[in-house]
Amino acid sequence: MTTHGKSGPLVTVLISTFNRRRFFADALASILGQEYRHLQVIAVNDGGQSVGDIVSAANDERVIHIDRRENRGLAYSFNQALQYAQGKYVAYLGDDDLFYPHHVRRLVETLEGDTDAGVAYSDLYKVFCRVEPDGSRTVLGKSVNISRDFDRFFMLHFNHTLHVCMMHRLDLIAKTGPYNEDIRVLIDWDMTRRLAFFSDFTHIRDITGEYYAAVANSDRISYRMRKDKAEYLRNILAIRAGRPAKPWPMMKDTSIILQPDGMDAAAGQQLRDLWLWTYVPYQVLLPLPAAALDRLDSHMPGLVRVPAESASSAERFDAALARAAGDFVAVVPGGLKIENGWIETAVHALWHDDRPGVGYLAATADEAHWSVVVRREEVLEARRRYPTLGVRASMEACNIRFQTPDPSRRPFQYDEGLQQAKHLEAEGDFVQAAWVYEQMLASQSNVELLRERLAVALAESGGQAASSRAAAMLRTINDARPTPALLLQEARLSRKHSRHDQAAALLEQAQAMMTEG
Amino acid sequence: MKLDAEGFEIEDGVDLHYRVLKELGDCYATLGRHGEAWRCYRQAAELSPEQSAPLVGLGVVALQQGRLDSAASAFDDARRLNPACAEAYSGLAMVCQQRRDFAGAFDFYLQCLQFNSDNLVALLGLFQASCQMGTFGKIIHYLERYLDRHPGDTSVLFCLASLYAREGQLLRAQDALLTVLALDPDKPDAQKLLDDVTYRLRQQPMTA
Repeated sequence: MTTHGKSGPLVTVLISTFNRRRFFADALASILGQEYRHLQVIAVNDGGQSVGDIVSAANDERVIHIDRRENRGLAYSFNQALQYAQGKYVAYLGDDDLFYPHHVRRLVETLEGDTDAGVAYSDLYKVFCRVEPDGSRTVLGKSVNISRDFDRFFMLHFNHTLHVCMMHRLDLIAKTGPYNEDIRVLIDWDMTRRLAFFSDFTHIRDITGEYYAAVANSDRISYRMRKDKAEYLRNILAIRAGRPAKPWPMMKDTSIILQPDGMDAAAGQQLRDLWLWTYVPYQVLLPLPAAALDRLDSHMPGLVRVPAESASSAERFDAALARAAGDFVAVVPGGLKIENGWIETAVHALWHDDRPGVGYLAATADEAHWSVVVRREEVLEARRRYPTLGVRASMEACNIRFQTPDPSRRPFQYDEGLQQAKHLEAEGDFVQAAWVYEQMLASQSNVELLRERLAVALAESGGQAASSRAAAMLRTINDARPTPALLLQEARLSRKHSRHDQAAALLEQAQAMMTEG
Repeated sequence: MKLDAEGFEIEDGVDLHYRVLKELGDCYATLGRHGEAWRCYRQAAELSPEQSAPLVGLGVVALQQGRLDSAASAFDDARRLNPACAEAYSGLAMVCQQRRDFAGAFDFYLQCLQFNSDNLVALLGLFQASCQMGTFGKIIHYLERYLDRHPGDTSVLFCLASLYAREGQLLRAQDALLTVLALDPDKPDAQKLLDDVTYRLRQQPMTA
């Protein structure tokens, strides 16, 4: 039996497996081979072929083996494992993925260092592979495809970390709640989204593991589930509607006060659109006469029925406002068009604006359908001081200024820039793409990633000066953190200048990285 | 955005290993490290069996080593996999040329140029095969087309001038050679041919 040193905090590593004995053995070995030794490893067999012999052969006292007969899914397995977890931190590994030996050490060092973040994540290779008839994997490509600095707002739309590269404080689970066993895909996003309500995330720009993705006929459960588009959408909506228990130290809540004229088909459609197109955490308050509310048959999460018999729109609004729990209030009239991005920019702008007395107009608002996002305290004050005025007039009387968000307050500027540059690259306009990257570098985060993309765009743009600059940039980047893709790019430049020996050496390095685990 | 047959996005990097091996094979082939180039192309072909480029690479290596049957087989495989693979036809032409089958080479070079009229190897190969066979009519057309897009390519322009001269189109030859020498004065072969063409022009009877 192997024993291990106990310096540093205990880290619990969870690994759940289902019928992938072949890869599980390597995955488990990569956990047990960590440089950081103070581990508790919880290996769950989720009702698949037994892995007991593999766990026994490891002969390591740090491993707890949960051997369940019934297949209950990853979320259930994680929740079951978390009941045994004793570490200060929790890390995860897929049963067909790999940690590099420094993975846990690197993440622990970061979380124990000078940071308030309770979550850290590193970069990892996505390894594209072909599963051969004998079950072995042939590596087709290996690229760092998720490497971006933490963006809480983006996390509400899309998971930009994976569990394989993440470590978080165990005590955060008490706040987020357990894994959601009602969803079958994007379980990791559901949890990282909820973690973002309570903690910052620290991005470690170091490649510490490998995540395997079969290119065709994937045996990944999440891949198969995604093929069922309706089921996939149901899961996404369930994730987006997730509201862990408050308080939310790192997240803003928005109370949407929807005021249709009555409970008719148009109002029903508006509710459905709200459910579909609202990414920020929200509750919808619907102040209508009880008779109208009785006709409403909706399972929409976060919907608060507010019985309000008054004929006055302002009084019905006040009834809803009294029950609003959000940091922000969105005033939404019946008939307002609800579509992708209808409220994100306004919420983002208000979130990042410290000035009092500011409201931001919804993207689809117009004079006939005036809609605004304001701070709840401010609209409460306006209604308290001017209860006889209309909602808008009362806020204007309190000097709340309504604005369209200026471009500097827009969310997703980084992503829009990246999309624009990628589009230019697809068109073959690498000169312009390089210009976009330069602009983004001047004002955005993700500096290292942008430098890499800039170097590639310069290399492809073809000019002599650009080519020289690209060569210098690629050399610096590949000295610090070589990846097969960037070594290939540098080799191509070397070949262009007839430095074939140098190119061969770079490509040999890329080829070695491609085949080593 | 590239999508696969099921509508999923094809991500960057999915064929990276293939591209590294193919590029490394090209590098080794250039350096004359034929055995290593061969291994890289073989691996690349196994990783992406739908790609014709590694088969072309295998053909080129075999050609460099003088293994003509093996080269022909590799180029043929590439052509079967991708009937529009210009390099496969060019390779087959070179095999024919080494076997002194100039008619076969000529045909394969022409097929290559149908798919890629910018293929310089095929153009120059076609020129050489034409010289061996003494037929120039078809090649002039391809050289002219190429020069429409690459007017500064003095090597090809010189070939064309030579063909004009051989076909008796002396004024055209003279124009082409003057252009060659204007762009690249240090070309004694062009000067020599120009002198010859000028002399022949002077010998021709004056027409009213």
